[in-house]
Amino acid sequence: MRYLIAAMALALPTSGFAAGERISVTGEIIDTWCYYSGVMGGPDAVVGTAHHTCALWCSAGGIPVGLLGDDGQVYMVLKIEGDDGSASGDTQLSLASHQVTADGMLYERDGLKYIVVEQVVSEGITNLSHLDYDVVPPFAVPKPKN
Amino acid sequence: MRLLAAALALWGGMAAAHGTEVHSDTSGAPEGRVAAADLPKAVTPLPWDLGGPFALVDHTGAARTEAEPQGRMQLLFFGYATCPGICSAALPLMAEMAEGLSERGVEVVPVMVTIDPKLDTVDTMGPALAEYSPRIVGLTGTEEALQVAYDAYRVEFEHLFDDPEHGPIYSHGAHIYLLSGAGEVLTLLPPVLPAEQAVAIVSRYAGEG
Repeated sequence: MRYLIAAMALALPTSGFAAGERISVTGEIIDTWCYYSGVMGGPDAVVGTAHHTCALWCSAGGIPVGLLGDDGQVYMVLKIEGDDGSASGDTQLSLASHQVTADGMLYERDGLKYIVVEQVVSEGITNLSHLDYDVVPPFAVPKPKN
Repeated sequence: MRLLAAALALWGGMAAAHGTEVHSDTSGAPEGRVAAADLPKAVTPLPWDLGGPFALVDHTGAARTEAEPQGRMQLLFFGYATCPGICSAALPLMAEMAEGLSERGVEVVPVMVTIDPKLDTVDTMGPALAEYSPRIVGLTGTEEALQVAYDAYRVEFEHLFDDPEHGPIYSHGAHIYLLSGAGEVLTLLPPVLPAEQAVAIVSRYAGEG
């Protein structure tokens, strides 16, 4: 077991961009907490403008943002342009729940895809509302008083 | 905007959206989670240096470096014990991972390095972290000693405001780092993963799957 760990540690050199793959991804900047945990409902319920405010809350609270590609893959964002963090930076907040096309470097580890976004080529608001998804989350609906 | 959004998040949003009541219903979580044996063997190197030596003090007052005294793997996170934001998601996940891994015969120690040594002292960290799990080791130290650890892990944080209930509120980074017993960084884990997926990842580094 020790040999395996040592071998894997050595397989994780931590300098240089050479091993990353340059990609362009089109999709939505998502709130990964609500997407993965399911606390607000299924994946369709935690995307778009209907989830914008919650996405701001989660990002500002430290939840790493993700890029849900049109290919269905979630790319965990390590940084976007000038903002070094994975969450709560001005760029991460201003892009929350927006559709973007992003150019950057892909790093795959442990079955997860990570992206360092070097440039957001285009972005726009996802114009969906609670009329599409009903009230999200369902427990936010006030219970009728007898 | 950053301050306003962060204030909204940490004051009300995280508490409401990430409270224990909400955590219990994960029926909407995506399916198709990855088991240890299904994980791709290849890993792409990260694009920057991560990790390095540090010398701090744990919540019992004992000296502690990046090496785990008994050689166990470690889950390393930077936060503060009373954080109502991301720590309230990451620390329970780390505790759940440690328990799940222990059941599989893999001993992993969750470690939190404070970003506020005035708040998290030897006297205060233990009880605060024990509310999440008695397994979690808290590390604090002088500002100079802590800065060494922050620099090693590219940790950035910002004091936002003081909340009447929670005290100082910070904006800070959020990844969990898996370290070997010697303190080498093996990989990183987003704190949003389902516990079973995170356990599967760590299990593979422990030689399973």
